[in-house]
Amino acid sequence: MADDDGPIVKLEGVHKTYRQGEVQVKALRGLDLSVQPGEFLAITGPSGSGKTTALNLIGALDEPSEGSVVVEGRDLARMSRAERSRMRRDRIGFVFQAYNLVPVLTAYENAEMVMRLQGTDPEKRRERVMSLLREVGLQGMEDRRPDQLSGGQQQRVAIARAIASDPVVTLADEPTANVDSATAGKLLDIMEKLNREQGVTFIFSTHDPRVMERARRVVRLVDGRVEQDETRA
Amino acid sequence: MATGNAKLATMAWRNIWRNRRRTLITVFGIVFGVFMAVLMTGIGDSTYGQMIDHAARMGGGHVVVQHPDYQRLPTLKKTVPDAEAVEAAAAELPHVEGTTSRITGAAMLATAKHSQGTFFIAIDPERESEDTFGILEGRWEGEPLTSADQEHAVVLGAVMAENLGVKLGSKVVYTVTDKGGEIVSGLVRVVGIVTTGAPSLDASLCVLPIGEIRRSLGYGPHESTMVAVFIDDHREADAVSEALAARVPEGVAVLPWNEAQPDLAGFIAMKQGGAVVFEVIIMVLLAAGIFNTLFVSVMERLREFGIMSAIGFSQRQLFALVMWESSWLALVGLVGSVVAIAGPYIHLSTNGFDMSKMMGGSAEVAGVAMDPILYVRIHPESALSIAAAVVLATLVSGLYPAWRAGRANPADAIRVV
Repeated sequence: MADDDGPIVKLEGVHKTYRQGEVQVKALRGLDLSVQPGEFLAITGPSGSGKTTALNLIGALDEPSEGSVVVEGRDLARMSRAERSRMRRDRIGFVFQAYNLVPVLTAYENAEMVMRLQGTDPEKRRERVMSLLREVGLQGMEDRRPDQLSGGQQQRVAIARAIASDPVVTLADEPTANVDSATAGKLLDIMEKLNREQGVTFIFSTHDPRVMERARRVVRLVDGRVEQDETRA
Repeated sequence: MATGNAKLATMAWRNIWRNRRRTLITVFGIVFGVFMAVLMTGIGDSTYGQMIDHAARMGGGHVVVQHPDYQRLPTLKKTVPDAEAVEAAAAELPHVEGTTSRITGAAMLATAKHSQGTFFIAIDPERESEDTFGILEGRWEGEPLTSADQEHAVVLGAVMAENLGVKLGSKVVYTVTDKGGEIVSGLVRVVGIVTTGAPSLDASLCVLPIGEIRRSLGYGPHESTMVAVFIDDHREADAVSEALAARVPEGVAVLPWNEAQPDLAGFIAMKQGGAVVFEVIIMVLLAAGIFNTLFVSVMERLREFGIMSAIGFSQRQLFALVMWESSWLALVGLVGSVVAIAGPYIHLSTNGFDMSKMMGGSAEVAGVAMDPILYVRIHPESALSIAAAVVLATLVSGLYPAWRAGRANPADAIRVV
């Protein structure tokens, strides 16, 4: 585990190269980044700058070609596939651009799924999930399946799912890309509130100026490196 | 499989109904496959059982007790000296429905103009019934024999009677070799002529009262060439045979029907082997259909599996999820099969198929008289085997798609937004 005062996420000299057919794509070229607990951070930059790749590496979804990605003091490159799977389940929350709820599960079942996978006690699970659904404004919609919810409502369920298990960091990949402005504003309100009141750490990958406006730290990537790292009061 | 508290069975159940039409087509495939397998197996189980029972009724029963060397070289010298004691021992065993002593052997039948060699069978008519002696169900001219000591009486098959040029009341002389090796003859009158429907049987049948033959052959009052034991289920023949072997005196052999009639056993084994091959083909086709359904379904959901992997589902849990889907398909297929097949099965097990026209008037298979109506009556263990084969085929079909689901790469899945 990381020291209380240390970063919960630390990327050092991270390179990531993909092969796309015959072409090698250098998505990250020596990325250094530290994230402290409780941050509300947006990674931004033009298309192809490496935002999503960085998020995938922090989320233990992928491995760096070079350099180290350390989450809570553990180097992800040294973990087995199963260990990374457990790390994702227990320590990292995900909010995806396309919501990506499990279509056969209700809002409640989706929100509780990670806690289920962790084997959390049913009573504790119920209490936590109901409270979160209330928090994100979905009270009374627990039994609806994703296809019975609007895009914004689905994204709220995804937020509840992501933070239900108290992850050390929640990664959100373009979370407002598929919703209208009013809904985006509400989603950001919810995430900001969770960050402020519950100390949930959020890292966004985004193009959305509304997200950048709310973020307290904005890291701009260009060509796989940090071009600008701005912390706001 | 330890998969944690992931609600996999519920998710799998809901998943298979996401594409209702595809699932119903797959279930229909399973139902059709099961129906074909039940039809084939049921006809086999019923027909072979019927053949064995027919053969038992014309020969030595489901279990036969005879001289140890009679099977290799049957002669009238090789006897069971105390058939009554053997019958008493057999009657106490479970599954035994009846016992009777019989004498069978070679004889020459002659009239003033014709003669013909045959194998006769001598019976005690008072100990026989339609359940033990098949010809009693035939078409009769005259009467069957009435007692073991009925004097000067013979029943002939219709073709045999025609070949000998005899009618009811005609005289026939039989000639046999007695226990001491002497040639002895007897004069009998034809009291019955029977048409069984089995041409070879009608051409060779010669039934004599056992009392008359015992006297002609110089046998003791309870001596015979065989004791025929009839049981309620031919599949118990080995067990009954083993139990009876422990109770009979030394000097006699106890054989189940398949050892006493190896030709028939071989014929049935060959036919059953063919049916198994056919059933395996059905199961392979069925498995291919299920594989196709599951594989397409998994490939369509690779991104979904990637997302699930991203939020913490392990490879094993994703594998188990698809195996659950596979199991549900098998279960729904089996339940659907029972529901869909029950009506036709009850009809076919009660009324059967009338094959008399296809048999061309001759109801004989492998030398055994047959009922021209084919019934579909499956043994419980055969039904269980089919169910197990369906489950196995379904689970095996699910293995590769399940493995593929477990290997879904979360990063690849998320990148394609």
